[in-house]
Amino acid sequence: MQRISVTARLNRSTLQFEEAAYVRLESYLAEAARTLDGNPDKQEILGDLEQAVVDQCVRRLRPEQGPVTMAELEPALEEIGSVQVPGAASASEQSVRTAARPLQQVSEGAVVSGVCQGLARYFGLNVTALRVFAVLLLFVSGGGMILVYLALMLLMPYAPLVSGGRPLRWLPAKCRALMEFLRAKFSLATN
Amino acid sequence: MTDESKLAPIRKGLLEFLVLKIVGAESMYVPDILRRLAGTEFNTQEGTLYPLLSKLRREDLVHYEWKESDVGPPRKYYRLTDSGRAQLTALDEYWNLINRTIAEIGH
Repeated sequence: MQRISVTARLNRSTLQFEEAAYVRLESYLAEAARTLDGNPDKQEILGDLEQAVVDQCVRRLRPEQGPVTMAELEPALEEIGSVQVPGAASASEQSVRTAARPLQQVSEGAVVSGVCQGLARYFGLNVTALRVFAVLLLFVSGGGMILVYLALMLLMPYAPLVSGGRPLRWLPAKCRALMEFLRAKFSLATN
Repeated sequence: MTDESKLAPIRKGLLEFLVLKIVGAESMYVPDILRRLAGTEFNTQEGTLYPLLSKLRREDLVHYEWKESDVGPPRKYYRLTDSGRAQLTALDEYWNLINRTIAEIGH
């Protein structure tokens, strides 16, 4: 039975692939291209990886075999590995970091109680931009913003203080003490 | 058994140092570098090494030249630039300093 094979131009070489293997290769390269998005050397690195695929597959081909099949491509891709950008956190590290960053108020360096700092940290936003936005909302909402802030202040737990960190300003310290008092009084869940 | 999640970032941070050391000893192409690291704690893959080398090249620490090969297309041989050599010396000294600190502290 004659199977469909595809000729792939990879870097400076051409290589014949069975259709399934070709589809797999395309998806590997597309994933690599996505990971390298924004990298100024994206095309060059992709070329290097294509060459690695060619070398690894050719090394695995039996003499006179014909097109590359999954049997050669899978171990080849396994050996090359997925593209890791230096300096970027891998997916597993990122999930650890997110898990280690619950939605909490951050008292150190806070203006009022640390709600903005907490939100900015949780969503990865610029805290100054968020504060400006909050002040704008304060005017637009005609005071409704104050209620939202108070509610968040009451509900968002406080991040533990960094030992040896900056001393709290007067207002954040008062807010924190008041919230701790209220939570104890009404036995709200805290941590 | 030490928690692997604590060791992985250490290795990751040191990989760049090791790559500089390897291409500092002699100019090499990627499969040679991989073989050099294989079987060590720093075993790595093309998918990691090519982006790292491109970053190092952007930082002007390494550069490569094409060399003809008997068996395939030309290969990129990487070696240190002058600033790469200076960086490697600085890293080496820093590493020795850290080692001394670790050995001395807590005694």
